[in-house]
Amino acid sequence: MQYVIIGSSAAGISAVEAIRAKNKDSKIIVISDEKKPLYSRCLISYLLAGTIDEKKIWYRKDSFFKNNKVNALLGIKAIEINAKKKEILLDNKEKVKFDRLLIATGASPKLENIPGIDKLGVFPLRTIEHTIEIQAMLDKVKSVAVLGGGLIGLRAAYALKNRGKDVSVFVKSGSILSQIVDKDAASLMQKRIEEKGIKIFTGVAAKEITGDKSVKGVALDNGSKHGCELVIIGKGVSPNIEIARDSGIKTNWGILTNDSLKTNVKDIFAAGDVSETNDIALEESSINAIWPAACEQGRIAGLNMAGEKETYEGSLAMNSIEFFGLPVISVGITRPKSDVYKEIVKKDAARNIYKKVVLKDGIIAGVVFVNSIENIGVIGALIRNKADITGIKDIILEDYFDYGKIIPLIKKSKKGFREPEFKETLLTL
Amino acid sequence: MKKIYCNIKKCLGCGSCEIACAVEHSKSKELNNTISESPLPIKRRRAEFVEENVAISTGCQHCDNAACVTACMSGAMYKEAKTGLTQHDRDKCVGCWMCIMSCPFGAIAREKQEKQVVKCDLCPDRDKPACVEACPTRALSLGTFKEFKKLCNM
Repeated sequence: MQYVIIGSSAAGISAVEAIRAKNKDSKIIVISDEKKPLYSRCLISYLLAGTIDEKKIWYRKDSFFKNNKVNALLGIKAIEINAKKKEILLDNKEKVKFDRLLIATGASPKLENIPGIDKLGVFPLRTIEHTIEIQAMLDKVKSVAVLGGGLIGLRAAYALKNRGKDVSVFVKSGSILSQIVDKDAASLMQKRIEEKGIKIFTGVAAKEITGDKSVKGVALDNGSKHGCELVIIGKGVSPNIEIARDSGIKTNWGILTNDSLKTNVKDIFAAGDVSETNDIALEESSINAIWPAACEQGRIAGLNMAGEKETYEGSLAMNSIEFFGLPVISVGITRPKSDVYKEIVKKDAARNIYKKVVLKDGIIAGVVFVNSIENIGVIGALIRNKADITGIKDIILEDYFDYGKIIPLIKKSKKGFREPEFKETLLTL
Repeated sequence: MKKIYCNIKKCLGCGSCEIACAVEHSKSKELNNTISESPLPIKRRRAEFVEENVAISTGCQHCDNAACVTACMSGAMYKEAKTGLTQHDRDKCVGCWMCIMSCPFGAIAREKQEKQVVKCDLCPDRDKPACVEACPTRALSLGTFKEFKKLCNM
């Protein structure tokens, strides 16, 4: 059996580990266009901020491929899949055969389609290479413009502020973090970020990046100009599905997968930021391009490639962010778009705490907690297992809410909470 | 795998486990000195009420397929191959709180200043975890699930 995995970040690495756990000797080939993978993509903004040293971003050891007997083809891009011949064409013209294939090609930063995007000093923040290149020019940078107020844009803004730069963030929509948290949580975060000296401009977009060869500024759609030497583009990511083109593998936004992480083509699987899966909260097919989902999908795809029968319960949007000591975590739907959803909200201005759950028919579809995050995982379990919380809805946002309070729901639940650890805690109830 | 189990029928929710845990994970390891430490040590167990007069002492369940390990983006949270325990490597932790976001038991706490998380480590310096030793009703025990079932006559 020859396993081939395209991609060597969260999903690809998890798949290697899962296959090796079941199968010690079969051949595994990993193809990656990154020369030096095995770093944690989520940590590159920490590296840019200077809050961790470079050692910390290697989340697996250098010897990972060797220890797992993986033939790693690094710095090489897979460009075409021939599903009939079970063969992959590489950019060095070589071909690689597979018996089972995992597509874990991830996603690429969306770049703005505006004039000047190709000037020196314009970067997305997605790979360790980007971080190294940005770091190399920081001495010459006084001012930074960040385009986009999402997670990556703000993490980049935080990092560069930490490096002593003058940072301005331009956000097209009316609020920061609009994909992740609701307006109330976003405004608490915005207040804290602005207090610490990062400027945020909402409802403004860049229409041009100005300068000669190098960046000198951005021209904004409200007519004003902003001088800067560095531009960071934080406009989200789009899945790397080009490899699936003409292969017969079905795609929508991402590569479509079933609950075994299989594509429509036999022996071809997809996992991570490139794969589209059932979203537990939305109850529809979606991409959740987040680290935990990539690891879980990689693990399950790997097990299924190795012949196991693991079911993927679906993905769930979740993000954890902290800026200047103010943490926020969200899971599932935080900005409901229809009135079938009800909300329970608790605000405590004195402690800077904000909590909200979003309900649909007595079942939690989403949650956001600011500055009091310790029990949010318990709520996450209620979302995943679709427990009816009607009986505990009055206490769910209280400080004393904890795992103990959901034990009666676990006991009542017929389909959910299948992990053995839940049952173990209930044994003596 | 050996871990800590709680017999709900015996648990009073008295909180002795919480105090013993915090003291064990303090600098001085003595209650009267612990209370003047700054920052105060953090407990990794909680006595939680299910309903009136029904309580459970909970902490890390060392899950077989641990959500915190899957979510950890720095490789700090990991499964120890030999023991099956979920362990935490402080040198790797960056304080992103993704494990807190993922733990269905709410068993992971923050060291806010240090930007680290803490959770039950089964007291590596002791034969018997401090909470188990401190439990006045013997609701807590250390052992395998099989041993726990036997202990509870189930």
